Amino acid sequence: MASTMKYVRVPPNSASLAEARQRVFEFFKTACRSIPSIMEIYTLDDVTSPSQLRSVISSEIRKNAHITNPKVIDMLLFKGTEELCNIVEHSKQRHHILGQYVLNREDRTHDIGNKDQGASDFLKSFYKSNY
Amino acid sequence: MASFTASSVSFSAVSCSFKQNKVSSLGKASLSFSGNGSSSRRLPALRFRVSCAAKPETVNKVVEIVRKQLALPNDRDVSGESKFATLGADSLDTVEIVMGLEEEFGISVEEESAQSITTVQDAADLIEKLLEKK
Repeated sequence: MASTMKYVRVPPNSASLAEARQRVFEFFKTACRSIPSIMEIYTLDDVTSPSQLRSVISSEIRKNAHITNPKVIDMLLFKGTEELCNIVEHSKQRHHILGQYVLNREDRTHDIGNKDQGASDFLKSFYKSNY
Repeated sequence: MASFTASSVSFSAVSCSFKQNKVSSLGKASLSFSGNGSSSRRLPALRFRVSCAAKPETVNKVVEIVRKQLALPNDRDVSGESKFATLGADSLDTVEIVMGLEEEFGISVEEESAQSITTVQDAADLIEKLLEKK
């Protein structure tokens, strides 16, 4: 039942950057609207709150805010939708959600946008985390 | 809701062999959207709020949410007329604020209305209108 709700397929082509932006906002809204059911499925009530999850989602979107190619944005949206589907239909487990989205947000060395900057890539991914 | 209708339009263009799926998914989708647990839980509390909600109160709540979202210091003046852009919010911030308001007031903002929100006052007016409709 939750899987059929999430049949929000991203059609392959965004005509322009503006359309891609609209898709991003719609994806964000869909994700935010499914936050209550996510919290219920994985019983996250005592570790986090809906507004924190909202800001986690928006920070993930912001990580790719510098992209200008609509096709790349489509691809990222597809992956985001896929991730959201997996979470909503309970294909993941609580520790996945906690490790990826709830805990240790401050400890990660966030990329400032430009992914090839300075230090060794291997180390950067290593510090980032396992997930 | 708006985003789903947009996607169902594109779905119909795909193929008629999927008609079965489409119909059943539409039916199930409407169920799961209306079954949004937290909003239905919040309705009883809303009834009280509607009867005694004055406009300044709504505006204050909106200001509070905006302040928290944009992490503004307390001395930064946020009034009804402040535009989100001047407060340092980009478009994703605006959407996030609208979603925060949706959650706080238990309303659901339509796509077109969300586009037109530029100031704090706009948001408060839209909220009042949606609360009245209930």
